[in-house]
Amino acid sequence: MALILNKTGLDRLIHFLGNDGYNFAAPVMDGGKVRYKHVELVEEVETDYVIPANSAKEFFFPQTETIAEIEIGKTNVELTPVEPNAPRTVIFGVRPCDAVSFASLRAVFTWDFIDESYTKRADNGVIISIACTQGDDSCFCTSVGLTPDATEGSDILLRETDKDDYIIEAVTERGKELVDTYKELFIEADHKAKPIFSPAIPGEIDLEKVAAKLATTDHYGDPIWPELTRKCVGCGACTFSCPTCHCFDITDEGTAFHSERKKNWDACQIDNFTLHASGHNPRDTQAKRWRNRFMCKFHIYQTKWDQKGCVGCGRCIRVCPVRLDITEVMEEFSK
Amino acid sequence: MEDQLREKAKELLEGGEIKVVIGYGWNNRKTRITPVFITKAEDVDKLVFNALCVNNLSIYLTRKYKDIQAMGKPAIVAKGCDIKNIVVCISEGQVERDNVHIIGMTCSGVVYKQELWQGELKDNIMPSKCHNCDVRNPHITDSVIGDPVDFTPPEEPAGMLFDKIREFDSKPASDRWEFWNEHFTRCVKCYACRQVCTLCYCERCITDKNQPQWIETSAHPRGNMAWNLIRAQHLAGRCTQCGECERACPVNIPLNMVNSKLALTVKESFGYRAGYDTEEHPPMIVYKPEDEEDFIR
Repeated sequence: MALILNKTGLDRLIHFLGNDGYNFAAPVMDGGKVRYKHVELVEEVETDYVIPANSAKEFFFPQTETIAEIEIGKTNVELTPVEPNAPRTVIFGVRPCDAVSFASLRAVFTWDFIDESYTKRADNGVIISIACTQGDDSCFCTSVGLTPDATEGSDILLRETDKDDYIIEAVTERGKELVDTYKELFIEADHKAKPIFSPAIPGEIDLEKVAAKLATTDHYGDPIWPELTRKCVGCGACTFSCPTCHCFDITDEGTAFHSERKKNWDACQIDNFTLHASGHNPRDTQAKRWRNRFMCKFHIYQTKWDQKGCVGCGRCIRVCPVRLDITEVMEEFSK
Repeated sequence: MEDQLREKAKELLEGGEIKVVIGYGWNNRKTRITPVFITKAEDVDKLVFNALCVNNLSIYLTRKYKDIQAMGKPAIVAKGCDIKNIVVCISEGQVERDNVHIIGMTCSGVVYKQELWQGELKDNIMPSKCHNCDVRNPHITDSVIGDPVDFTPPEEPAGMLFDKIREFDSKPASDRWEFWNEHFTRCVKCYACRQVCTLCYCERCITDKNQPQWIETSAHPRGNMAWNLIRAQHLAGRCTQCGECERACPVNIPLNMVNSKLALTVKESFGYRAGYDTEEHPPMIVYKPEDEEDFIR
C-alpha cells in the first residue's frame, strides 16, 4: 500500500495550504505555454506537460525586485533597504531537474555573501516534484548524471500512477512534516506507478572529459568556439529560462527625487553584460560570451561550488531561435 | 532543389569571390534545421532546403556579426520573405547590394515553428506571411534555385493573423489595452525579439542606454510595455512581417500582430510596403521639405 494524492486531495490541499498562509504555485497554461505560476484552483493545475517553459527559480529569485528605496532631498540622500517578501510557498509539479537546481542557486547566493533575498524565500519553500513520465528531444538529464525521478532538491516526490493520481514519497523532513500535517487529505491504495520517461542520450557525452578540457585556458583561442557559436544571436532566452543561471543587474528607476533600486535578471549572452565604464569589453565577441556560459555550467559551478551547473532540463535548446544545442557543444568537448 | 543549391554554392565558393555561404543545415541529430556557414566547397553537402527552413538568415548580414563580415563577401540562401529584409537593409545603407550574393529560393511555404512539423506542410502550421506571400518566386536575386512556383496571393491579406487584427480593431480601447498588458506582463526582457530582427541592427539599442535610462529595464508591466511599444514604433514602415520576433519569443507574445498592424497602417497612410525596392526609403525615416502634410513643417 502506498500513500496517494488524488485530484480531490489536491483540491483540498490547495485550499488548506491557502488557509494556512501558503502561496501555491503549479504548472498552468499561460499564453499558450505551460508555466509555473501562482494558482488558486485545482482546475488551473496542468498535469499533462513535458516541462514548464519557465524554470521554478523565479519564486525564490524573482526576475525583478526592489531592494531599496531612495529619497533625494536638497542636501541629503536617504537609502532605505527593502526587506524581501518571503511568503511560505509550495511549488507543486516541479520537474526533478528543476528541483536539483535549487541547491546550485543556494550555493551561489550563500557563497561569499548571504543573499537573504534568495535564502529567506527558499527557506520558506516546499518543493513537490513529479517524476517524468514524458519528455521530448531536448531533455538530457541523464547526460548530466541525473534521472527523471531524481529526489535531490525535492521535499516530496510524486509518481504518476495508472489511476490518474500520485504516489507520495516524502524526501526531506520538511516534506514529511507537510505530509503529516495534511495526512487526512491522502488515501492509502495499491496503485502502480507509470513507467519513467528516459531521455535518449544525444551522443557521446563524457562530463569528465568536458571538465578536464575546461580546466585550463588552453581552449580559449580554439577556433571551435567561433565555429560552434557563430549562429548565436546574443539574446537572453537561454539564460532567462535556465534554472541555474543566477546573474543579476542593479539599476535605479524613478525620478530625480525618488527612486527604487531594482535587482533584475541579467544575461551573460547580451553584448553589454561585461561592458566596462571605460568602454572596454573583456568578452567582446559572441564566441567569448558563449564560452563563458558553457564554462559556468561545466567548470565554474563544479570547481567553485561543487554543484551541478546544468541539470539537463533542455530549456536553452527549446527556446533558442537558431537551435544552438548545448548537447552538441558537450559532444564536441567530449572528444 | 538541394542538389541545385549545393551545385550553386560550390560554384560560388570555387569562383573565389564568395568566401562564405550562409544557409540552412541539419543539427547533429537531423531533427531540426539550424543556420550553417559554409566556407569550403567540399562542405556544400551540408546545405539543405525544406519547409523547416523558417529562420530569416539575413540577420547575419548586419554589422553586429563582425566575424562573418571578416570572412569576406557572403552569399546568402534566402526565401522571398528573407530578401525583403535584405532590401530594407540595402535601402537603409546597412548592406551594399554589390557586397552580397543573394541565392533566392523559390518557396512553397515554411512551418511557423519547427516543433509543429509532423511531416506535412499544412495551412494551419504556416505563418500568415506564407498565406499572403507574393514573393514565392524571389524578387531580388543574383541566382534563383528551384522551379517557379505558381501561387496568387489573396488581394486582401488573409489568414488567422489578419482576421485577428480586424476583430481586435473593433474592440474598445480598454479591451485592447488589457490584452496587450496581459501579454506584455509575461515579457522577460530577454530581447530575443530584437536579436533575431534583421532591422534591429543598432549596435547600441535605446534600451541599453542608461544615462539617462530611457526605458526601464525591469520586467514589470510598465517597463515591458515601454520596451515593446518603442520597438514596434522603431519598426513602423520598416518591418516586413517576417515573424521572427514572434517565433523567437520564449513567452509567446503575439508580436507579429503589432508589427503587421503597423505595416497595414503605413500601407494605408503612405501606400508603402517595406522590402520591395532597394532605392526607396521607408516613409518614417524620410524628411521632404515639400511634404504636403502641414504638421511636419
